[in-house]
Amino acid sequence: MAKSLAPLDGVFQSLADPTRRAVLVRLGSGPASIGELAAPFDMALPSFMKHIHQLETAGWIRTRKDGRVRTCTLERKSFDLVESWLDEQRAIWNERTDRLEGFVTSTHEEEGAE
Amino acid sequence: MTATLNPELDLSVTRVIRAPRAAVWGAWTDPERFEQWWVPAPQICRVREMDLRPGGSFRTEIRDGAAEFSPHISGCFLAVDDHERIVFTDALLGGWRPAEASFVTAVITMSDHPDGTEYTAAALHRNVADRDKHEELGFQEGWGTVTRQLAELVEA
Repeated sequence: MAKSLAPLDGVFQSLADPTRRAVLVRLGSGPASIGELAAPFDMALPSFMKHIHQLETAGWIRTRKDGRVRTCTLERKSFDLVESWLDEQRAIWNERTDRLEGFVTSTHEEEGAE
Repeated sequence: MTATLNPELDLSVTRVIRAPRAAVWGAWTDPERFEQWWVPAPQICRVREMDLRPGGSFRTEIRDGAAEFSPHISGCFLAVDDHERIVFTDALLGGWRPAEASFVTAVITMSDHPDGTEYTAAALHRNVADRDKHEELGFQEGWGTVTRQLAELVEA
């Protein structure tokens, strides 16, 4: 169970921070450079870059470097990932119950035949 | 005590299994039988501890292909009602020791049914969010809602 949750850890961590949420909201209106994104925050660039890296690693954004300017773009897949997580858990439990049912009914029939 | 499900976080699977309750209970509580259905092939499950009493340790391992066994569930039983109910969580370890990470409380119930056994597995999931941060942004509880609202916000 823990295994299937692993990709989501970073996704949720992203949302737990106000700076990162603000970056996501800003990127919703279109790609932006690191400089533009950092401007509203009273924060040293290395600290801000940690947030950018976290968002990129978690899959919320993509970054691309053109010359000296790094541009960030919103990535939609993390939204889909969070939406589908409960469905995935449901599938795991459904399949697990299928296997229990298969196991119990087959072994029960064998016992009954003896 | 009955589990209350939060539709944003929890799930419940119910199935009528055409076998007596003793057979279903046995498949759950006998480690050798449990190992045969808990994880999908080709993964292999190994039960390290299954101390079926409140506070009893529940530890399983999983092996995928040629890799070594790695921890799968590390938790403890909260309630064990003979042939009726098993509740476990990974929020606590054996002896009720708090766990590092928690993810789920599972409530397994079995009852007699004209066609065999009615089996229900409910999984209650922790809200991984920091609730205060949620409220700060005006999000309602639940990640489904959070992501929908965020998606609407960024797409506006």
